[in-house]
Parts: sequence; C-alpha cells; structure tokens
Amino acid sequence: MAIELIVNGSPVQVTAPEDTPLLWALRDDLGMTGTKYGCGKALCGACTVRIDGTPVRSCQTPVGSVQGKSIATIEGLRASHPKLVEAWVQNNVPQCGYCQAGQLMSASALLDGTPAPTDEDIDRAMSGNICRCGTYGRIRAAIREAGEART
Amino acid sequence: MNMTVTNLSRRRFLQASGVLVVGAAVPGCSTGPMPSRNATLTPNVFLSMAGDGTVTVTASRSEMGQGIRTALAQIVADELDADWSRVTVAQAVGDPVYGDQNTDGSQSIRFLFDVLRNAGASAREMLRTAAANEWGVPMAEVEAVDHTVRHAPSGRSAPYGDLVGAASELPVPENPALKSRDAYRYIGKHRVHVDADDVADGKATFGADLTLPNMAHAVIVRPPSLGSQVASFEPPADEPGLIAVETLPGVSGIGAMFNPLGGVAVVADRTWTAIRIANALDVQWTEGPNAAFDSAEFTAQLREAVQAGGERLYDAGDVDAALAGEGTEIEALYETPFLSHAPMEPPVALANVADGRCEVWAPVQDPQSTRALVAGWLGTDAANVTINVTLLGGAFGRKSKPDFVLEAVELSKRLQRPIRVTWTREDDIGHDFFHAASAQYHRAKLDADGNPAAWLQRTAFPSILTTFDGAAEQPADWELEMGFSNLPYQIANQRYEYAGVQPGVRMGWLRSVCNIFHSFSANIFIDELAAAAGRDPIDYRLDLLGPSGVLTVPGMQPPEGHGLDLARLRHVIERARAISDWDAAREAGRGVGFAVHHSFRSYVATVMEVTAGDSGLSVDKAHVVLDCGTYINPDTCMAQMEGAVVFGLSLALHGEITMSNGRVDQDNFDGYPVLRMSESPEIVVELVPSDALPAGVGEPGVPPIAPALVNAVFAATGVRHRSLPVRV
Repeated sequence: MAIELIVNGSPVQVTAPEDTPLLWALRDDLGMTGTKYGCGKALCGACTVRIDGTPVRSCQTPVGSVQGKSIATIEGLRASHPKLVEAWVQNNVPQCGYCQAGQLMSASALLDGTPAPTDEDIDRAMSGNICRCGTYGRIRAAIREAGEART
Repeated sequence: MNMTVTNLSRRRFLQASGVLVVGAAVPGCSTGPMPSRNATLTPNVFLSMAGDGTVTVTASRSEMGQGIRTALAQIVADELDADWSRVTVAQAVGDPVYGDQNTDGSQSIRFLFDVLRNAGASAREMLRTAAANEWGVPMAEVEAVDHTVRHAPSGRSAPYGDLVGAASELPVPENPALKSRDAYRYIGKHRVHVDADDVADGKATFGADLTLPNMAHAVIVRPPSLGSQVASFEPPADEPGLIAVETLPGVSGIGAMFNPLGGVAVVADRTWTAIRIANALDVQWTEGPNAAFDSAEFTAQLREAVQAGGERLYDAGDVDAALAGEGTEIEALYETPFLSHAPMEPPVALANVADGRCEVWAPVQDPQSTRALVAGWLGTDAANVTINVTLLGGAFGRKSKPDFVLEAVELSKRLQRPIRVTWTREDDIGHDFFHAASAQYHRAKLDADGNPAAWLQRTAFPSILTTFDGAAEQPADWELEMGFSNLPYQIANQRYEYAGVQPGVRMGWLRSVCNIFHSFSANIFIDELAAAAGRDPIDYRLDLLGPSGVLTVPGMQPPEGHGLDLARLRHVIERARAISDWDAAREAGRGVGFAVHHSFRSYVATVMEVTAGDSGLSVDKAHVVLDCGTYINPDTCMAQMEGAVVFGLSLALHGEITMSNGRVDQDNFDGYPVLRMSESPEIVVELVPSDALPAGVGEPGVPPIAPALVNAVFAATGVRHRSLPVRV
C-alpha cells in the first residue's frame, strides 16, 4: 500500500516497504538524492531532514512512521530559507559538500527556533552533524550571518 | 612524476590526444569578425569556447573538497582574460590525454599550473590573432580584456564569441606569452567554489546520485579478516525485491593491491533491501592468514623493532661517541595507531558492463588507474572502458584505491545490468586501506648549553608497499622522505634508522601519510629537549635551524625548486609566534604548543592553545601559518588549513582503529569518533604571500596539529603525552 507524504509542500506517494528508512525512500523511490547516507545509525547527521519542522535523522526513521507528515529536504531549502543558503554559499562553507545537506537542514531548524543564536546555541544544535572536511568554523559564521540577516 | 603534458607542444598534444581543433569554415569576405555560433575553439583538452563565448574548462583532477575544480578554472580563466560568469567546469573522464590525473599527494596545482596557464593563453592569443587578422591591424595593438578583444586606436572591439569561428582556424601557438604576476585577475584571488550552489541546493552529483535504467543495488558482506574466504552461507529467503545473491572470490592476504576483498553480494531493487538482507546473512568463513592479527600485539612488535634499531638511512658525525659523552641524555618513545579514512561518503560505484564495453560512474581519485584496472579485470582494452568521475564526498586517500569499482564491474558483468555497489559505514571502517600504526624512538644528548650534540631517530611502521607486494617489508624512500629523512635542524651528530613490520590488514595512504607520525614524534621530541634545556620551544627551534639556504640531506631529493628552504621555514615559525600572541603570559591550566612541518613542498607552522586539567581538555584556538608558494584561491587555502586542524584534531583526540582476531573492532562513528563542532576550536589562518613555485595545500596542514596539541597540553599541565590518541 502506498505511503503518502508531503515533501517540500507537494504530496507524493511511496510504495517502499514501511520499514524502509525515509532516507532510502527519498533517494531510491523519489529520486531525491540531495539527502545523504553517512552512517545509517543516526550518528553523523548527513541524512537530516525536517519532519513537521523538527530535524530528524532520516536513516533511522521508517517511512511508514511518517505517513501524512510534512517533510522538508535540502531540495526545498533555498525557497524556504534563502538567506541561510546564500550566507552558506557566500561563506564558501562546503568543501566536499557531502554532509552539507544535513548541516543546512539542522541549521534551518536552529534559526527557525532561535533567530539570533549564540555560539553555544549553534554548537548545541549542530553537534549531531559531522563534517569530516572540517567546515565547522564557516558553518558557525554562515549561521550567525543568516541569523543577523533575519533579525 | 608525470610532466609530459608540459613538455608536449600544443600541436603535438592535440595529435596525441586525438582531439581536433574544431571550427566551422568562415568565409573571409566580411570586414569584421563574423559570428559563427556553431564553431568551437578547442586549442587543447583543457579548454573549449563555444560560439556564444561560453568557456568550458575541463577539470582533469577529482574534486574532493580541496576546491580543485574552481582553482583549475581560475588559472585558465585568468590567462584567457575570461569573464568568470561565463566559465563552466566539466569533469574529465580517465584518459591519458590529460596527463597524470592521480589526485593525490597535494600536487594538482603544482603539476597543472603551467599547463593550464598555457591552455588559457593559447586561446587568448588565437582570439587576439583572429581579431587582428580581421581588422588588418598589428597584433601588438589588440588587447584581450574581459571576454573581449579591443583595438584602442580604431575603437573597435569584438566579444570573444564572435571571434571563435576565425580563431578556431588558426594554428595553436607553441609558446603563448603568459601574463606577468601583477596582471593576474583570478589567480591569487578569492572565488566561491564553482559547486557551492549545487551543493547547497542538494543538486551536486556524488557517487551514489546517478541512476541508470534497470539498475540494481548491491551490498556485500566481506570477509571479516583479510584473506578469509566464503565457506558457506544460508541463502536468504526469497522475497520481493531480492534479485540475486553472488559469491565473490577474495584475495589471499596482503599484497593484493586494489583487488576486491570478495564475500557475498546481495543484489536487490532498493538499497535498503540489499542492506537489510546483507545484514541478516549468516556467512561461514574459511579463515585466512590474518585471522589472528591483533593490533595490540602488532604495536608491541613495532615498539620492539624501533627500540632494537633497524636499517640505517644515514649517519652524520659520530652519534655513538656523542651519546656516550658528557651531558644530559633524553630518550622517548612515541606511538600512533592505525586510522581509517572515514570520508563522509563511503565508497560507492555504479558500473554498466554491456555490449563489450564498460562504463563506470564513481568517486575516484585516479580515473586513469581505475580504467586500467577495470580493463584488466574484464580482460578488455582500456578503449572499451569509460570512467566518469563524480564529486567525491571526501576521500583523504581512500578513493585512490578502487576496489569498490571492481566490485560493481564484476557484478554488472555477471548480472548483465547496471549495478551500484553501496558500502555501508560498517563496510567502510571495517575494510579500509588503513593508515599505518607506528612507533618512533628518539634519543639525544644535550651539551652544556642545552643544545643537542647527538640526535638518534628511529621509525617503525608497516609500509604501504605491503599493499602492492605481499613480500615487501621495509618502508619505501618516499615514505621516509615524509618528515623523517628531512629533519631541518642542524645537529652535528645525527643518525636515522627505520624498520618495517608486515601488517595483517591493508595499508593505504591517508591525508599527509607518514608525515603524521614523523611530524608527531619529531615535533614533540624537540619540545622535550627545549623543556630540558629550559628554553622557549620556538626559540630553541629557530636556533637549531641554522643559516638560511636549502636543506641538504642524503637520500631522496626533492624536485627542482622545491628543496626545503630554511628561510621560508623560519618565516612561518616567526609568523605563527606573532599571530598567536605566543609570548603572552597565560593563566594556570592554559597553554600554547607549537609545531612546524615541511611537507608536500609547503611550510606550515601551528600554534594550538588549550585549557587542560582535572576537568578535561578543551582546544580553544588554533593558529596556522601556511606558505604554499604561489596560491590560486586564498580562501580555499585557508579552508584547507581549517579542515586540516579539524582532521588533525580528530586523529589526535579520537582516532584509533584496533584489530582483534583479524577483525576491525570499530565499525561506525560511535566506535571511531571524529571531531564534532562543539570540540572544534576557533581557527586563525595566515597565508604567506609568495611567488615561489606552487606547492601542496590539501595535506600539509595536518602533520603539525597533533604534536602542537601535545605540546600545548604539556605547557598547560606539565604532562607529556607520547601516544595517540591523547587521553587527558
């Protein structure tokens, strides 16, 4: 039976088995490859999406558990958070880029709840997201800049 | 190394490459340049310009976060006097026409700087010539500025695109004039990376992001120890989505190069189905020669080897006599563990073997060697193999070793359909080509002034050669050259010895390779000598550097123009001292530590500032000074130093892979943690302006990090840590 989701505002149907992690349903069934696999154990944050606004690790979220819910992915972020994405690019944050979708989704959730985050707020919100290239300093800078732009 | 591209004339290069100058014939009847929208100016394999003026730079090196696609385009665009907004970057397939494509050893810019300047300048000169011919004016009077050729005396000008047709008919200049340094407009200037927008939009294409019709997904259960083989397994129950279960032959042990490890492949219609079934598969193994390999025992072997002495690399003066003489003797043993690369994107490859051909899409660092290996695997000519390079989601050396590509090729060949092989994180950490564990032994004698009268240094580690030759034991000279045989200090009596010990796992190169452990011990030991002499660690080093000049050491010699320049080394040391406020008094429990290292032809000095004590360790600030010679994108260089701090702290604070019974004990980021944002210090980078030859950027920032940290912890606490990871 098809599972109905709302992804970036549009209703979609997925026919994957219900225990399939949302990550793989997005990638394999919906062809939305912006969300990345990094660890499969909710340890690295590369697969972070937002479900009804909350950042979650899609690798540990069965698609059957999000029936009818609203899912935001990186593919929709520039439309919903243009200042964040622009600050990210202008700060030349990405190196290899692989973890960045997850970083951006976590950052968008932080800014929605805390428009002008302190460095401690940023560290707390972002420490579930690993960047092996070491872009942490620039992530902090981009979030601060986007936060200031909003407030 | 491969510099053949530079040595070929443009014409010969074109002939060799089989790429022709393509240009539509333009009737010579117009008074001005005739726009020819269908023409393409392709003076060489790195650059083409379409009739609308759009420039495509072909990046021959792999992008893994080091910003190479942007930097290569900057070089071409600069000499071309192009409008940056009209430059796009294409990614080269693996093909010898591009020269060496091995994205490794921090040498892409070093190898390609002149090649690409020539590429851009050739096109620029052809465009100028075309305009001068059309206008009947001397070449000297036409100038190329911002995608336009201008003739000031007559006020005429033509956009590049309008000149493409005529230019494409012209001979490619042999030695086009290159710009003077002060005329650079992109080289040495900040540019946002060309892929940044795509990354931020989730549109960038990594190894797992391409899909072919009828593609199936494979996940492989690999042998738990190197060289074990599949004995038997209970076939999984048939279920919707399961396509095939294939047994793959394995390798016999070390020395297996980049051949796949073998195992049981589960092939399914979805990635998750393949992962789930593979995880549940119960495979029995015939244990191989490394089933008893134990990293603790191996470390003990290294420790023993390094204390016993080894092959003598070189010996200056009389170390034994000096050690036996008057003064204070100091000795120390340092140890570093195995490490895993753990790029955020685990290995992944898509292969399609069909109709006598094989096409691959994969994040590989060296598409040419990948192509040769795939051709060899299939027993076909390389001409039948195409290797497309996606973006690499991190690599750090792991993706130089395309065993994962060969797995996809083998399965596609067997199942006659496109196959994507996905490595889980557990596969990645459990079956890496590991960075070598090592032991370093140092012994010195300080004279009455506290200066070293003798310096004995020994290194022991499993050589990367063991991956290529199962009988290899001793390290290669290029491994020793990484921070061991080229110590910059002037000490009258010095001896260097090395010993290799054969491992029971695959060895590979990881970002900065042997420099990691050689820089670690040498930078800490010199600090220990300074402490024993009651001297400032930076003063002590500066005094030992001796007069300016290029360091001369026996053994492997650096490439022309890349010798260790002691003045440049001194400069980065002095700058690091200045920007870090090194000499300021610090409160109790806070300390600064220093390290400096020359690697990949660059010079990096680092000061780490920490707070350490009963409540643990926090790394507060890192200062890095980089001299990489001529640089292309300063912001990229700084980003690479920032990344090196994080990478270096990851290995210094957390990195440790251990093996028991041949099996890797860690399998994910819980057992093998890497640095997170909350642990990441503020990082200040200074880039030294230089007109020296371009040198490495991706790797040289890493080696000084761990020793600077250890030295900072000593300054803060008085406790000297001599092994990694540092556990305070």
